[in-house]
Amino acid sequence: MSENKSRDKTIAIINTHAPFSNAAGKEALDAALIFGSYEQATSLFFLGDGVFQVIGDQNASAIDIKDYLKTFSALEFYDIENIYVCQQSLTERNLSAHFHINNIQVLSNEVFSQRLHQHNVIYRF
Amino acid sequence: MQNRLALVVTTPPNSNLTTTAINLVKAALDSGVSIIGVFFYQDGVLNAAKYLSIPSDEFQTLAQWQQLNSEYNVPLYLCITAAEKRGLSDELNNHESSNIDSAFTVSGLGELVELTSNAERVVQL
Repeated sequence: MSENKSRDKTIAIINTHAPFSNAAGKEALDAALIFGSYEQATSLFFLGDGVFQVIGDQNASAIDIKDYLKTFSALEFYDIENIYVCQQSLTERNLSAHFHINNIQVLSNEVFSQRLHQHNVIYRF
Repeated sequence: MQNRLALVVTTPPNSNLTTTAINLVKAALDSGVSIIGVFFYQDGVLNAAKYLSIPSDEFQTLAQWQQLNSEYNVPLYLCITAAEKRGLSDELNNHESSNIDSAFTVSGLGELVELTSNAERVVQL
C-alpha cells in the first residue's frame, strides 16, 4: 500500500431503503461504524424510503427480523454526529419528525445536497 | 503519478451492474489506471460463490473475476460478514472446507476503509 495516505477524507453514507425489506440498512450501518472506528469522518444521509430507518417505535420482531435499529445508538461512541434526513422524503411519506435517535438534522433539499457535496467519498445503500 | 482506483461491487453475478463493474476494471487496466482492489459487499459477495454454475450462453462472471485476479493481479476482497449472512464460508464443517473461490481474499469492512483511504477514486456499483 502507498505511504501517502490521505487520512482526511470525508465519507458520506446514503441510505435509500426501508429498514426491513432487505439488509441494506444494516449493512450501511455496519460500514458506518467501521469507518467511525477507524476515525474516518463519516456522515449518514437518509433519503427516499431510507427515512423509515430513523422513525421511532418500530417492532422488527413482529415480522421475525433481527432488529438492528438499536445499534444506531452506537453511532455517538464512534463520533458519527452528522446525521441528515431529507425533509421532503418525510413529507412525501406523511411521516413526522419522531425519531429513535438523537442528533438528527432534518434538511431541505438544497441544504441536504450542499452537505452531501462537502464529502469526498459517497457510498449509497 | 498513477491513478489509484478502488471498486465496490454490491450486486450479484447475474446483475448487469456486475458486468459493468468487470468492464470498468478492464477499461481501467487498459488506460493504465491502477486497481488497488475490488471490494465485494452486500449481494456482491455472491460473486465469490465457488459452486455457482451459470448456463454457458450467459455471461460467465466468476471466470472473469478469476482472470482479472490471476492475469492482472487485481485483488478481490470479500466481506466475510456479508458472505456468511448469505451462506458463504471458509470454515464449513462438511467435507469441503470452503465454498468461496480461491481468487477471493477473505477480509472484512476494515479493508473497505483501507481501500477508501488509499484510493484516489472510489466507484460503487
